Amino acid sequence: MRETPEQEMIVVIDDDYAIRLSCQKILTKAGFQVETFEDGSQGLEGVARLKPSLVVVDLKMPGISGMEVIARVHEIVPQAIIVVITGYATIGTAVEAMKVGAYDFLPKPFSPDELRVIVNRGLERRRLALESERSEVERALLKRRFITFVSHQLQTPLVAVHQCLDVLKQLGGAEGTEAKRQEWINRCLSRTEEMLAIIKDWLALAKVEADSLSRRRVSVDLRRVVSDILRAYEEMAGRESITLEARLPEEPCLVKGDRTCMGVLFDNLIVNAIKYNKAGGKVTVSAEEVDGEVVAAVTDTGIGIAEKHRPFLFEEFYRIKDESGKRTTGTGLGLPICKKIVTELGGKIEVESELEAGSTFRVRLPASREQEEADSSGSLE
Amino acid sequence: MTGDMKIPRVLVIDDDVDFRASVKSLLESQGYEVREADSAKQGLRELVEQKPDVILLDVMMESDVEGYAVNQAIKYQEEYEKYRNIPIIMVSSIELSPDERFAMASELDMIRPDFYLTKPLDMSKMLELLQRALKR
Repeated sequence: MRETPEQEMIVVIDDDYAIRLSCQKILTKAGFQVETFEDGSQGLEGVARLKPSLVVVDLKMPGISGMEVIARVHEIVPQAIIVVITGYATIGTAVEAMKVGAYDFLPKPFSPDELRVIVNRGLERRRLALESERSEVERALLKRRFITFVSHQLQTPLVAVHQCLDVLKQLGGAEGTEAKRQEWINRCLSRTEEMLAIIKDWLALAKVEADSLSRRRVSVDLRRVVSDILRAYEEMAGRESITLEARLPEEPCLVKGDRTCMGVLFDNLIVNAIKYNKAGGKVTVSAEEVDGEVVAAVTDTGIGIAEKHRPFLFEEFYRIKDESGKRTTGTGLGLPICKKIVTELGGKIEVESELEAGSTFRVRLPASREQEEADSSGSLE
Repeated sequence: MTGDMKIPRVLVIDDDVDFRASVKSLLESQGYEVREADSAKQGLRELVEQKPDVILLDVMMESDVEGYAVNQAIKYQEEYEKYRNIPIIMVSSIELSPDERFAMASELDMIRPDFYLTKPLDMSKMLELLQRALKR
């Protein structure tokens, strides 16, 4: 909703007193602020001072010509709309005026309604122009932010690797430095892995974006997607003594989507639930159909997510800094990918969490009525 | 370092653990005493404890006001008054022209725009700048 707009300022420049007076009356009554001037040079001074949204100019005036006024007004306030009043409504002069930047023309004599209509139309045009300019600027900013972020995210580990290699170089082959060398090599390896993970996620995100329109949607049984992934992570969970549990119904849980995307979605959610769990914890994945929707939930018994972080979880590159001050893990792209996939398929993803108790990520997708297609392209790559 | 020359103390404030560790290792091999801090808060704590001769300050830490916060605290808070003369070397991974460096220094309220190092650090440049900072 737009806030109550300020009264828009309109400047009228005409040497005819009667025209100035009637314009003033009509436009003030229509809710505008109006200032009138009797010649071009005073008018331009007024424009510079008042920065009006719209200027009404008589083409035939003594002194500076109307044509010149039009050009000069746009130098002073490029976004102002100019309406031209012509005594002799010849198409020729009107076209001439519009060539130098006037928005429209009003032949004398004109009715109050004609003036109001043309002014309102002009102002609406200005609003649209301003809005589209603003969204252009916003888009450009967003893009720049994304690029800065990506380069920062990649540059940071790369700088670290470079630094570690410098240390290795300096250690050289000196005796007794074997353990140290190993330590620095390990630092390099872990940072390059970090970089690879970021690039992999970034590409996945771009792929979801690029493919979403062209991809064929089929009926996918979430039960199979989920149990395949759980099986793949049994070992990883086992290392931290985390139990994985699937609560899946007897009948199929069909959604209209894409097998690869569904795999990526639940892969991300389940890995997070394991990674941010406590040793000896539990991950529960459930799915059921409720009122034409398939609702799937991934619940962990981990550290939970503080309320202040929750609104930003699905934003690109948002990462929560470990309270203990350790390095932040993860690429900051996993959940944005999940959100993108769910949104593309017309669904919703939401999070509930309690600190020190755990989190639940819940996905809602439109249920499919068609049978699952028999195909074997269920790979996650 | 020979004779009665004091061992110069450097405080590295940076949120990247590997970066800090590498600077520490590289500088220690050159005879410096190095302490690390991963945030503005910890940096100010170390400042009081270590009383460094020079500070290497990452000005683009993840929460992007941290570098600024360190400088501001030292400059304007009374409890850090006695550390006001410690030279601060800005560190960032952004390559800047002298003009841009000047603009950045004034934006961050830093005193010496020429005390600026780009990541990854060039060892000889870093040592030269440290020497210059220590001479003041």
